[in-house]
Amino acid sequence: MDQKEIYQLMAEKLGTAALGFSDEGVEACADVAPERIAEACLFLRDDERLAFNQLMCLSGIDWDGYDENGKGKSVKILGYAEDGQPETSDHVSEGDFGVVYSLYSHSKLHKFTVRVRVSRDKAAVPSVAQVWSTADWHEREAWDLLGISFEGHPNLRRILLEEHWVGHPLRKDYQMPDSWDNVPLNGQPYGNNPFPTPEVTPDPTLDQPAGDDPVEG
Amino acid sequence: MAIENIKTSKGWADQDHVPGLKSELLELNMGPQHPATHGVLRLVLLTDGEVVYKVTPVMGYLHRCAEKIAEGVNYKQWVVYTDRFDYLSPMTCNHAYVTALEKVMQQEVPERAEHIRIVVSELSRMASHLIALATFGLDMGAWTPLLYCFREREVILDLLERISGGRMLYNYMVPGGVRYDVPKDNWASDVIDFITMIENKKLKDYNELLSFNKIFIGRLANVAVIDPQTAIDYGCTGPVLRGSGVKFDCRKDDPYSLYHKFDFEIPVGMGEKGTVGDCWDRYMVRVREIEQSCRIIRQALESLPDGPYQAIELKKIVKAPAGAAYSRVESAKGELGHYIIADGGQTAFRNKVRSPSFCNLQVMEKVGVGLMISDLVALIGSLDIVLGEIDR
Amino acid sequence: MQILTDLILKIPGADGMSDLVMHIICAAIMATLMFIVMALCALIFTWMERKVAGFLQSRYGPMRTGRWHGWAQAIADMLKILAKEDIIPRDADRGLYVFAPILVMLGSLLAWAAIPWAPGFVAADLDLGLMYIFAVSSMAVVGILMAGWASNNKWALYGAARGAAQMISYEVPLALATIPVVMYTGSLNTQDIVIAQQGGMLNWFIFRDPFLFVAFFMYFIAGIAETNRGPFDMPETESELVAGYHTEYTGMRFAFFFLAEYANLFLIALIAVMIFLGGWWAPIPFLDFLPPALTFIIKGVMMVFLNMWVRWTLPRVRVDQLMHLCWKVMIPVTLICVIGSGIWMMVSGQAG
Repeated sequence: MDQKEIYQLMAEKLGTAALGFSDEGVEACADVAPERIAEACLFLRDDERLAFNQLMCLSGIDWDGYDENGKGKSVKILGYAEDGQPETSDHVSEGDFGVVYSLYSHSKLHKFTVRVRVSRDKAAVPSVAQVWSTADWHEREAWDLLGISFEGHPNLRRILLEEHWVGHPLRKDYQMPDSWDNVPLNGQPYGNNPFPTPEVTPDPTLDQPAGDDPVEG
Repeated sequence: MAIENIKTSKGWADQDHVPGLKSELLELNMGPQHPATHGVLRLVLLTDGEVVYKVTPVMGYLHRCAEKIAEGVNYKQWVVYTDRFDYLSPMTCNHAYVTALEKVMQQEVPERAEHIRIVVSELSRMASHLIALATFGLDMGAWTPLLYCFREREVILDLLERISGGRMLYNYMVPGGVRYDVPKDNWASDVIDFITMIENKKLKDYNELLSFNKIFIGRLANVAVIDPQTAIDYGCTGPVLRGSGVKFDCRKDDPYSLYHKFDFEIPVGMGEKGTVGDCWDRYMVRVREIEQSCRIIRQALESLPDGPYQAIELKKIVKAPAGAAYSRVESAKGELGHYIIADGGQTAFRNKVRSPSFCNLQVMEKVGVGLMISDLVALIGSLDIVLGEIDR
Repeated sequence: MQILTDLILKIPGADGMSDLVMHIICAAIMATLMFIVMALCALIFTWMERKVAGFLQSRYGPMRTGRWHGWAQAIADMLKILAKEDIIPRDADRGLYVFAPILVMLGSLLAWAAIPWAPGFVAADLDLGLMYIFAVSSMAVVGILMAGWASNNKWALYGAARGAAQMISYEVPLALATIPVVMYTGSLNTQDIVIAQQGGMLNWFIFRDPFLFVAFFMYFIAGIAETNRGPFDMPETESELVAGYHTEYTGMRFAFFFLAEYANLFLIALIAVMIFLGGWWAPIPFLDFLPPALTFIIKGVMMVFLNMWVRWTLPRVRVDQLMHLCWKVMIPVTLICVIGSGIWMMVSGQAG
């Protein structure tokens, strides 16, 4: 089916929540109001004419600093300076976050792209993990790397980074830490032991010698 | 105890069978240093004896945030990083990236370059599938096929070394073409010799030694069945999807490069030894794909046109006009997609990688329940994951 | 034993010793001898295993150490393993952990005592020799279970549980498969069993009747399982359980398990030769000039080769399939062999 027709079908269903359609550029895409994206996705999946039964890709995007005029002036990526210290910048991030859903239908053999944009202070999008199971991990990844929260996600935890990692690396204003878990990352020497033993509060239940547990009951 | 009970009700272990004796599920940490997890994947298992009650994959041990790096280095430089995703078939990863980039740039590629790309991609796919067979055999306790498969893979590595200069990580494709032309010596005929040997002899060897071995079939038939609905819902692609009987291959159904010109078939799981979508089907799809890859290579080399192998204007720095596109190719593991947002500069504004192993692995949370530990190993092997592209 | 006693008596001044002292000295000498032979076997078979594996996998195996086909590789490995740090996990049950490898080793070492190497040359000429061998070699199960439990490692525990289940189960068909032979011989004495097979290949028990022929293969399969080798290496299953019951063991303690595995391998092969393949008797009269012990060992090594061939060819079975094979296939078949052999004996008039 033609991209435009798909959009029109979707717009009929969603009404004002279908924000627009653009087929300029390489790939056509539709914009949807973020609060109704789960509903839109469910429609796209279940409608017989569309039958988008596969979510190919779910990409989270930090639109901060994107210049639509095509001059390539995106924000400087902050890394480590030559002396090993994390770079800082006085740039104030203000761009929106976006999520792009790339859909494919195995029965109808057509593709479609849906985009949503949410503001930076309230980066939350309804989860589509109930619609396509594969969205589960994709959304966890977007949460992990970009800090976009997905409402109604069954298990929104970090997936690639450590549970207690600070910040979301794919944000344009992410600053590299200078140490993590007591391991310096800023190029400073850290002695002979690169991984000092973290302080662990002993678990009293574990210290009992094996076999001494009385049988309950 | 029946497997259905585990899936539906509480496990045997949660109930008090002997009055006064409390039993509980055993939490077992499989990996990240475990021989069967194909890298640094960690699985947290809840087991009831040999039966697995719950699987929770934990990954990220190889995470290097390549997508962030993509925002920092320019388009041509990032080809190097794509090699490191699926280090067992780097050519297809290269291909995925340059295809996506050319789509954003709307760049034409010379026909000769496309042919060369297809040849090296298919060689790479064969190498990856050979490793999949080898390590799958190893997971099942058969050592000897491992060495045989590696022997053949060695030839592929030598061939790819002659064309690209690298043995494992090639950095061979550039936006708009390939880095080097086909070597002037008899490289093409060596490739033809090699695939003839694979088609006529080696595949037969593997089938006799491994595929149709009674114990091997006994281990895999009817084990960890992924039905087509689940496979699509969980975004499985590649041999995993085809093993479930869904006839889908990006090379045919969403043609990129020049694959539409070549004649080949898509092998699917047919449930010959058990149910459609069991481990044996997924394994066998790979064996048959090696054969199809041979066919494609033969056709591509025989019709190799003359002409430039690089779009001339792309030899300098590469810039893409503002725009966004999602493009996917069929890598050895499945659908490898890149969503590239360009802002008109030399670097990508955002480059999301949709890696097949990442999506394929996800199905384990569902299918892994109720399997025995040995079957779980079979499932991991049949999914054929590479942690380099899961963690990215 | 008698030969040894005579030898010692020739030493001047040995006459005055009491029988007990004599007995202890002889036993000590025999035990040392057996241990050396066993250690030597393990060394040779590790090298052989690697060469056989290399041969089957179209590669060379060890080629460097000691120049000729890496013959010294096993020695170098042993020296290396001796020099390794001996680690005992903090939360391990120390006593059991230390004792387990010794017990496993002891089980196979004790069984060696009743192997008849040549006429009259057996360390312990027991009337119940065969039964004794099975009795003491099953001690290894206890050792494996102890090792798995004491390591305080879940993988080791899994390996131990699997190992215990497997070895106890497979002892049944292993022993049952030998019963027809015992019926024919009318004796459990290992020497008697071999002597009963005198007179060429056709007198070997394997060719005596069709049921014994089947029983031999049952014995062979059960023997592979009993030695925990592929395709039945459940206690180790290096791709599933990391290294099974000896996951936590290092250095010499690990070497003990390793040694015991190869000693058991040879032991099982030798028992097969002893009860089915004519012991020290040459297959055809032409080969009678060979020393009996050499014939015996050559046959044993060929059986070991067969075992290695199987290991490096087949994939591993799953643990429930393993049990299924044992209880639902092998035990009924061996029972039929016992009954069938009995009937055959009656009909052919061989019943003693």
